[in-house]
Parts: sequence; C-alpha cells; structure tokens
Amino acid sequence: MSDTDEFGRVSRRVGQLFRGVLLASTLAGILTLAVLLVYVANDAFRPLTADPGWHLTFLLTFVLPTLGVGWWSYQRSYGTLTTGLLGIMLPTIAALYAGGLAALFIDVIPTLVWLSFVVAFAIPVGVVVALDRTERDIPFLAEITAVLAVTAGSLLFVPDLVQGLPTVPADWMVLVLTIGIPEALLLGRWTRGRWGRRAGLTTGAGIVVGSAVAGVLGTVTGVGAIPGVALALFAGVPTALYLSVVAIERPERRAGLLLPAVIVGGALVGELFVGALGFAGPESWVDWGFLTSTVQRGADPGAVGIYSGIVGTILLMFTVAAIAIPAGVGAAVYLEEYAPDTTVTRIIDVNISNLAGVPSVVYGLLGLGLFVRYGGAQTGTLLVGGATLALLVFPIVIISAREAIRAVPDSARQASYGMGATRWQTVKNVVLPRAFPGILTGTILALSRAIGETAPLLVIGAAQVFGVPDSWNSTVGAMPLQLYVWASTYASPAFYTTVLAAGIVVLLTAMLSMNSIAIYVRNHYEQR
Amino acid sequence: MAKKTNGVSRRSFMAGVATTGAVAAAGCTSNTGTETASGLSGNIDISGSSTVFPLAVAMRGEFTAEEMHPNVDISINSTGSGGGFTNYFCTGDTDFNNASRPISETEQEQCTNNDVTPVELKVATDALTVVVNNDASWFGEDGEECITVEDLAEVWAADSKPTTWSDVNSDWPDEEIQLYGPTDASGTFDYFHEEILGEETGHRTDYQSTEQDNQIINGVANSEYAIGYMGFAYYSENTDRVTALGIDNGDGCVKPTLETASSGEYQPLSRPLFTYPARSALAEDHVAEFARFWLENSTNKAIVADEVGYVPNTEAERDENLDRLDSAIEAESE
Repeated sequence: MSDTDEFGRVSRRVGQLFRGVLLASTLAGILTLAVLLVYVANDAFRPLTADPGWHLTFLLTFVLPTLGVGWWSYQRSYGTLTTGLLGIMLPTIAALYAGGLAALFIDVIPTLVWLSFVVAFAIPVGVVVALDRTERDIPFLAEITAVLAVTAGSLLFVPDLVQGLPTVPADWMVLVLTIGIPEALLLGRWTRGRWGRRAGLTTGAGIVVGSAVAGVLGTVTGVGAIPGVALALFAGVPTALYLSVVAIERPERRAGLLLPAVIVGGALVGELFVGALGFAGPESWVDWGFLTSTVQRGADPGAVGIYSGIVGTILLMFTVAAIAIPAGVGAAVYLEEYAPDTTVTRIIDVNISNLAGVPSVVYGLLGLGLFVRYGGAQTGTLLVGGATLALLVFPIVIISAREAIRAVPDSARQASYGMGATRWQTVKNVVLPRAFPGILTGTILALSRAIGETAPLLVIGAAQVFGVPDSWNSTVGAMPLQLYVWASTYASPAFYTTVLAAGIVVLLTAMLSMNSIAIYVRNHYEQR
Repeated sequence: MAKKTNGVSRRSFMAGVATTGAVAAAGCTSNTGTETASGLSGNIDISGSSTVFPLAVAMRGEFTAEEMHPNVDISINSTGSGGGFTNYFCTGDTDFNNASRPISETEQEQCTNNDVTPVELKVATDALTVVVNNDASWFGEDGEECITVEDLAEVWAADSKPTTWSDVNSDWPDEEIQLYGPTDASGTFDYFHEEILGEETGHRTDYQSTEQDNQIINGVANSEYAIGYMGFAYYSENTDRVTALGIDNGDGCVKPTLETASSGEYQPLSRPLFTYPARSALAEDHVAEFARFWLENSTNKAIVADEVGYVPNTEAERDENLDRLDSAIEAESE
C-alpha cells in the first residue's frame, strides 16, 4: 500500500469494538434479568406439570387466536392494537384493585364503621357546598369557623349515632350508598357532558342498579356481597365506560375490541374443553388458596399463603399516600410557586434531591428513632410503618410534583395573571389542573417504590409472623417482608422453589399494575 | 343532578322513589354491632428467642384456628432472647418475650424501671444441638459422631481460637474450621457460653452469626468443614441435611434426642425454654387466655415434640407454671 491510499482513511475497528462492547453489556443485563424472571415464573406457575393436552387446548383456543387477532389489529393500525390491549388490561388491573378493596372491607374496616365515617364527613362537605352556593356574602372567618365547628361536631357524634342505629344497611348496600352513588353522580355528570342528558341519567342509574344487582348476585352465587359490589364498581363500571367511549367516539378503532373478546372467549372455551376432556392444568403455586390463606409457616407449603402480606401492603400504601401526597405536593407547590429564590431555598432544593437517594435503611432508623423511641409509639405498627415509608417517598413525591408543576408553561400563568387572577386563583385554576397528571404519575411511581421496601419495616420492628391489622396500632406486615421471612427465618428448600417464587410473582404483579397505571396516565396526557 | 329543569314526569319520579325504597328496604338488616358476637379479640405481640420462635408460631396457629379464637391477632418477632428483653419487652412494646435462658438481672432491672413485671413460665425443654456437615468423617462412625465437651470448648473459645481442625486434635484434618452460630443477643449463645465455655472464658467472635437459625443449618450443610449450634427444633426439621454430634460429658457419648433431653442424660446442653408475659398485659382476657392455652398445651406431645421438636413439660411442671400464671393474673386484677 502506498502512502496515498492511506490518506484520508480512518480505522473503524475501535468504533466497531465499542459498539460490540455496548451490545454485550446491554444483553448481559437484560438476559440475566430475563433468565431470572423465567426461572421464578417457572417455579411459581409450574407450567410443565400440566397435561400436554391442556397446553395444546389452550394453544389452539387461546394463544393462537390471540396472536392472530393481535397481529391483524396491528396491521390495521397501531391505535387499534392499543385499544384492544387497553380493553383487556383495564378490567384485569381494575379487578386486582377491586379484590384488594374488597379484602379491606371484609377483614379490616367493618362496613358499618365505614358508613358512619362517610356520613360524618359528608355533613361538613354538604355545609361547605351549601355555603358556597348561597347568595349572601358571609365573612371568610365566620365561614371557616362554622365549617370547623360542624366538622368537629359531626366527627364527634355522628359515627356513634350511626353505629348505634337499630336497623342498618347490609354490607353491599353500604358500598352502593357510599361508593356507588358518588361514582354514579361523578360519571353521570361526565357522560352528560359528553353525550347528553339521557346518557348521563342512564350511566348514573346503571351504576347504582348494576352494583346493587351485583351485590345480590354475589350473595346468591357465594362470591360474597362485598366482592360482588367492589368488582362491579371498580372493574365493571370502568370497563363498560371504556367500551362505550370506544364504541361511540372511536368508530375506526372499534375493531380493536375484538382482541379482548378473543382473549376472554378463548380462555373460557379453553377452560370448557379441558374440563370436558379431563386435561389437568398446571399445579401452580399462585392459586386462590395462596392468595387467601393467612397461614405463614408450616411443613406443607401448599397450606401457606400471602393474604396477611397483601392486606398489610394495601393498608401501608393507603397510609403512605395519606401522609406523603398532601405533604409532598404541598411542599412542591410552595417551592415552585411561592418560595423566593434565595440561598436558603437553593440549599433546600439540593437537600431534597439528595434525600431521594438516601438508603431506605436510614429512613427506617429515622422512623425508629422519631416515632418509636422519641414519639413513644409501639414498634412495628401500621401507623409507624406507614409514616416511616411516607418519609422515604416524601422527597420523591416532592421532586416529581415539582417537575410536573415546572412543566406548566409560564405563558399559562401570565395569561391568568393578565386576566386579573390572584396567585391563589392561578395555582388553583391553571397550574394544578395542568400539572395533575404529572403529579399523579410521579406519586404512583413513588408508591410503587415504597411497596417493595423491606429494610425500613425490619428496622422499625415489624413482626416476622403477623396477622391482618385491625387498627392503626396493630402490628403490620407486608409482601416484601413476607418474602424475606420465607427466605430467611423459615428458610428451607421446601419454601424456596414454591411459595417464595409465588410470592415474588404476586409482589411483582402488584408493582407492575401500579406502574402500568402511571405509564398510562403519562402517555394519555402527553398526547394532548 | 336533581335540578328543577330535569322535567322528570311525576309518574316516573314516583316509580323511582318506590324502586329505591324497595331496594333500600331489601338491603337493610338489624344492627348486630361491629364487634363479633362471641369469642376473644385483640392483638398480642411477642418478641424474643429464635429457639422458642417455632414453638410460639405453632401455638399461634392452634390458638387462632377458626374454631378457637380467629379474631385474636398474634404477631411474633424472632429477635433473640436478650434482644427481645432489651429492645422490645422491657420497653413495654411487646406482651410476651420468649427466652431460651432465664431473664438476667440487668434485664430484670430494666423491666422494673419501666414498670414491666415479667412472669416466668417454662414451656418446654430443648436439647441445644451441635451440628456438622454430613461428609465430616473425623467425629466417628456414621451414626456415632461424637465430640467431647473439652474439644467443643476449645473450638469456640476466644483464647484458643483454632483456625484448623488439626489445631484442636492432631488426628483431625488440616482444614479451616467454618463456624456458624447465633448472635450474642441470643439465649442459645448465652446458654452455650455458660455451659460449655464457662463464665471466665470468652466466646470467640470470628464466626458467622445470625438470628435466623435456618441460616446456620444452610451454612453447615454447604460446607464440609463447618460446625454450628442451635435449638433442637431446627435440627429436627433438617435431619437429612446436617449431622448432630453426640456430646461426651465424661460419661460417654449421648446424642441429642427428645428422650435423652427429657431424661436429663443429654448433659450439659439440655435446657429449659421460657416465655415471659408482662403481668400488666395479662389483665386483658385474650392475653391471659393465650398464656393459659400455651401452658395447657405445653404437655401436648403432638405440638411440642412432633410438630416443633422440643421436649414437652411434665404434668407437674405444667401445673406449677399454671399456678404461677394464675397468681400473676390475680395479682394484676387486684
């Protein structure tokens, strides 16, 4: 080779090597995770224990039609496919939440107590609405005094009064009254605004009557009245509403609904066939018994279940949300909209960002020191656990809420000020509504971090064998804690490949269902 | 939605009211109160020894069974005897503390300072078990594996600190000893220290210590040159994975079994197990009932021996402890 040939040539070897290394590192990470998840799923579901006929039946009735229809929808348009996927995801995830809520009403909050507190809170809300509607000009101070007095009085006397009534509504009736009617009013209004008065009335009446019927059906069929109503209100209604929206407003995507129909239909037909032909299904560890058993230790992994952990996790999440969301969003609004840009606020900024990365065990110790040792609370209770996890997610909520608020364009604020709005009116009417989806997304992601935490719960002294909490002051457990205990305290090979794997699947399902909501909310509002 | 402009006809309004009324009437029941009609309810929090832990879990299972007291919620935390007394029980956080040794004077003092009065109840007898790997051949014939108290003391003593087995006995292999044992918050640690090493000799600290006894089993099962000790119950769940050493106290080799522990032959490592309810907690019916239930079933061979793996109380022991419990409950209710 002569010198002239070399001129202007650059070796690409380094570049190709670099690319290869990047590819290898990507594959290494993804493959390891994939292998691990497949391994766990195999232990949990044990697909190989099923009859080959079972696999064949479901391949023919379920897998192939689903893939075929999925491919067909994708060919029609991407929107058709997503409509179909949402059509099956929505009822599935909604049913998970309905189940969790039903568990709360069955085991933790007696429906009568729930009703009494709903009534007690409804009274002050009614007073506020009435005061808001009156034509008369009431001084602000008088108004707030009246509202506070009514609230205090109502909370003091109404719950006892309601709980002491000689005749009370049945369980399902309470849920229809306290959740069904507000849901009917809200969604009725929404559909009225979209499709007119008749649609609004139909929706409202449909929700109330439908959930009542579900309650009666639940009692008759043995599913139980509470699960029946909860499923109708939290899974049935959203699904029906979604189907209506697609059918009425998106005619070009209607074909996408074939996918959920094929999935549900295929599963039912497959079930029918394997039942008729006598093919045994897989002996999965994730079954109804595992989800509903409160037994946590024993020689027989088949009797063991994760129910206490599930209910504990749900209660902890409610507690965390109740503490961290108002405080975190409040702090975010203050820091973004009100706080002056001074050295102090900048120091606070930096510290909040750092706090989000502090290891969770440190928050556990903080909770132990603050609530248990200093505050005198009992170790390992629902309140202490919830408050400690709330501390953990607090900085994350602030940061994500601030980002959502910052994403509201300044022009919107300026326009609001230009119309003569005050800062409070601007925040209330312009900033918060536009930032809401972002805040919601960030908050759900923060909660889904809290759902997997074990270390803080261990540090605050959560028990290793626990039941279903029945008050703020009873000891609580959670799913990740249950997994830890199965893996260490009761460690035996009989548990590793059985209930431990099943528990991992349940925990991951709960976490992914939360994340999927966050992702959906984000995508849905980004498109606008 | 019920605005005046709705224009609902009188007939449909009446029909609506009638339907609503009918449904509401159908959905009403008489108020039976929010408390369940019968049976005890409430929380019981238990901390303490990992040795007693499986026994407590078994008693919890029996006590909260559907036909017994399903509304009593029992939480159990395995914290070690000392860890439980210091951090949970004597601070007033838990109702019971399990212990694999009697309460110490300092712990008693801490409890008294916090107005907690522990009531000592003996619930079973344990054979503290020394385990080695199934492949360890130098302790004797298969089924006859044995170690003398002196050798055992030398392995675990802080002053000798042998690194290889041949340091203890020149006939043994020149391989590094892997040590697994409970933490110093554990009653098992305290008992082993006192009985094998004695007051003056320190327990060595360079070993894998854990409050989860199953991890001791796992460690020993996975390493040929390992030795560890823990409560008999954990061994009895894993008899095929590790080998229990017989202990030679000068009078020949005695294997840890429920029989040798109850007859007192297995010396010096058979020991009493306790639970300590707080006297003030016994004022609550469900706590007192659970304590009584536990003692009444401490002679139950099916639970204590077969299910968990400890030596049940004799009937005389049970009655003596029940008397102590009853007088504590009486003292509290006065």
